[in-house]
Amino acid sequence: MGRKKLSKKDVLHLAKLAGLTLTEDEAIKYKKQLKETISYIENLEELETTKIPPTSHSISITDVFFEDGEKNERLFSLKEVFQNTKNKENNCFKVKKIFE
Amino acid sequence: MLLGKSLVFILELLKKKKVSTKEVIDYFLKRIDKYNPKINAYLTLNKTYNSYEKDKLKLPIAIKDNFCTKGIKTTASSKVLENFIPPYESTVTKRLLNGYFYILGKTNLDAWAHGSSTETSDFKATKNPWDLSRSPGGSSGGSAAVVSSYLAPAAIGSETAGSIRQPASWSGVVGLKPTYGRVSRYGLIAMASSLDCPGPLTLTTEDSAFILKIIAGKDKFDATTANWEVPDYVSEIKKRKKFVIGITEEYLKGVDEEIKKSFYQLIDILKKLGHQIKKIKLLSPKYSISVYTIIQRAEVSSNLARYDGIRYGNDRSFFGSEAKRRIILGIQVLASRFFGGSYVKAQKVRTLIIEDFKRVFKEVDLVLAPTTPIAALKLGEFEKYPFFGEIMDVLAEPAAIAGICAINFPFGLTKKESLPIGLQLMGRWFEEENILNLTYQIEKETNFLGVIEKGIRNYPD
Repeated sequence: MGRKKLSKKDVLHLAKLAGLTLTEDEAIKYKKQLKETISYIENLEELETTKIPPTSHSISITDVFFEDGEKNERLFSLKEVFQNTKNKENNCFKVKKIFE
Repeated sequence: MLLGKSLVFILELLKKKKVSTKEVIDYFLKRIDKYNPKINAYLTLNKTYNSYEKDKLKLPIAIKDNFCTKGIKTTASSKVLENFIPPYESTVTKRLLNGYFYILGKTNLDAWAHGSSTETSDFKATKNPWDLSRSPGGSSGGSAAVVSSYLAPAAIGSETAGSIRQPASWSGVVGLKPTYGRVSRYGLIAMASSLDCPGPLTLTTEDSAFILKIIAGKDKFDATTANWEVPDYVSEIKKRKKFVIGITEEYLKGVDEEIKKSFYQLIDILKKLGHQIKKIKLLSPKYSISVYTIIQRAEVSSNLARYDGIRYGNDRSFFGSEAKRRIILGIQVLASRFFGGSYVKAQKVRTLIIEDFKRVFKEVDLVLAPTTPIAALKLGEFEKYPFFGEIMDVLAEPAAIAGICAINFPFGLTKKESLPIGLQLMGRWFEEENILNLTYQIEKETNFLGVIEKGIRNYPD
């Protein structure tokens, strides 16, 4: 598990990737806490896993598909689609401009 | 007449028309009015019961506030969703509503279920009904507290790694984490999708079996539910089965002496009942903490990416400290630049943990262990250490990582502080009937040493 030491700048960068805004104080606090957490989880290095396959789910599962023409029971009415938004115009969600 | 009565018992009263549905619901709403301000276990109450439906038989139940309930506010205890009214019903609540149930209200949790104390809730901590200065555990702390103070005869919780069993242990009730894939996650606000399991918190083993029968089974809206037959758990638990029960030193390290005493006391009782006790070896649970931390943080960072405040909810500036910390660590473990390979390493160790249980379950039917290393902690303790919750869940995490089923039941009280002690049984994948069966035998033989009744006595009508 080769890794680079985490700086405050890195924490702010990771937060930006996640769409989160942190204060300076939060970044300093998280840097310290993340370091503690990471030093704990290093104990996995004690286990030899070179030949072990990874498991994504503990039980074997397969994809589920709908038959063509089957009724979509999860369809929402327009009212339901918009009942929780504050940013609506003419049955569309309003979002911030990305391109000029 | 109703105080402390089990769900199954109330159902009988309703069937015999000794009490009406309205009387039962009003009874609990009255108790909630009286005690919820002290405990802060319910976030939202459902007072829409229509007495025109008086012929319909309905059993009240409390639901953790991370299950989407159509028309009833669902917040996951986060300000991001403080005004969210789901336009659809989760499969678990849909099955309950189609059965005998009426949703009494939605219960508090750690925000997004991130935590083990219910203190990270954006709507204030829930108090432990046994001692209001203590945490009820978490993240299903509200659900555990309403059952132990009898503000609902039963509740639904969800567990990712300990979030049903640990609060059940600290609040002194029965808490079942089914096998991963046994119960649908559809409409459960996702935390770590490869681990999340809905399950019941109840006063009795029979109630747990009764609820599981209703909520378990294949769901076409959740591809991770197993197409596996759902037995009639209520009749299954009443068969007199004999088990080979494994115990291991690894799960007693760092465990409080009084909890160990309860553990050994139960072993003597199990032997007397004709079960065989066998010493086994299991991987140290400390590795499960690491696997859990990596997998959970990674899946959290992905699952919480959808909360952009556009279609519903508030924007991302409303996330609390714990969620932000977990999202950032999740991105970090997934970013090769910082911590390359840790996610795959964790998934490989998950394989080792599964293989470890498979080996053990060839020798024994069930594994018995304490649920938590210590009894309920004071509120405020968790905040001091960013990693504390995982340590409190250490004994619950291996079963969650392996996806096997496990159940907490109360077994005695600590002497000085009179707090509940919880023990757990772990069983093979999709063998809930066996862990329930032995818990039922223990309940019949010992009445869980009177813990549940004693808890309710603190909250008279």
